[in-house]
Amino acid sequence: MTRARSISRRRVLATLGAAGVAAAGGGLGAPRRAEAQAQLGLQESVQEALRRVLGGRPVKDGAGVVRLDAPLIAENGAVVPVTVEVSSPMTPASHVKHVYIVADKNRIPIIARATLFPESGQALVGANVRLGETGDVRAIVEQSDGTLLQVRREVKVTVGGCGG
Amino acid sequence: MADIGKVRIRVPSSIKAGDVVRVRTLVIHPMERIERDPQGKVVQKKYRYIDRVVATYLGKTVAAFDTTQSVSENPTFTFTFRATDPGTLTIVFRDTHGATYEGKAEIRFS
Repeated sequence: MTRARSISRRRVLATLGAAGVAAAGGGLGAPRRAEAQAQLGLQESVQEALRRVLGGRPVKDGAGVVRLDAPLIAENGAVVPVTVEVSSPMTPASHVKHVYIVADKNRIPIIARATLFPESGQALVGANVRLGETGDVRAIVEQSDGTLLQVRREVKVTVGGCGG
Repeated sequence: MADIGKVRIRVPSSIKAGDVVRVRTLVIHPMERIERDPQGKVVQKKYRYIDRVVATYLGKTVAAFDTTQSVSENPTFTFTFRATDPGTLTIVFRDTHGATYEGKAEIRFS
């Protein structure tokens, strides 16, 4: 009687253990999927990158709404301060959702994607970026209604900062 | 590189309730670039760089960045948020090796 009970207990524990392993496997699956989705920076041409990220939607000229602040000449391509400012009311109904910073000539053209919320108060983002060589830097703004606005500006780079 | 993960946050010294506050943050991180072998082929390895930055304030995300290797070493980021109540601004940086670095700034009104 005692033996039978101990076997069944063992069996129960084994089953629990297997379930635990399965659960852990499921847990590992989730971040892997997230990683594949987060592949933002690939080595590709800027056209391919924009098609992949924006899904081929039309991009309008954002002059007057989007302001891209970058130096005309970047002596050191390894650290180039870029700031993007968008005039937007930033209300839940109408706000800037994403700001993409893109460098046409970089091996990895997509530099960063900023995600903003009405709580941001103002659509202003900045980052220090690397520029491989002289070329256009673009700011692409996605508004909450899905409109895409783009502003571009050429930055001359004296010493490239991407290496590789 | 013992300083990896040091986070610095700069907010204005005087903030009034309802202000839109501009924040500048810096993290010490190598942001590894793509390496090539002598034949010019890209070395395939898991490069270590920051790929996600999230700023939260009063339990809400106020700004987030998805970043790639085209961002500078020791990157700085600028963003804004509306300071409605006193609270803590938390900025979390995550790199591709799974490490997270966190910085906090107390938002008080003067």
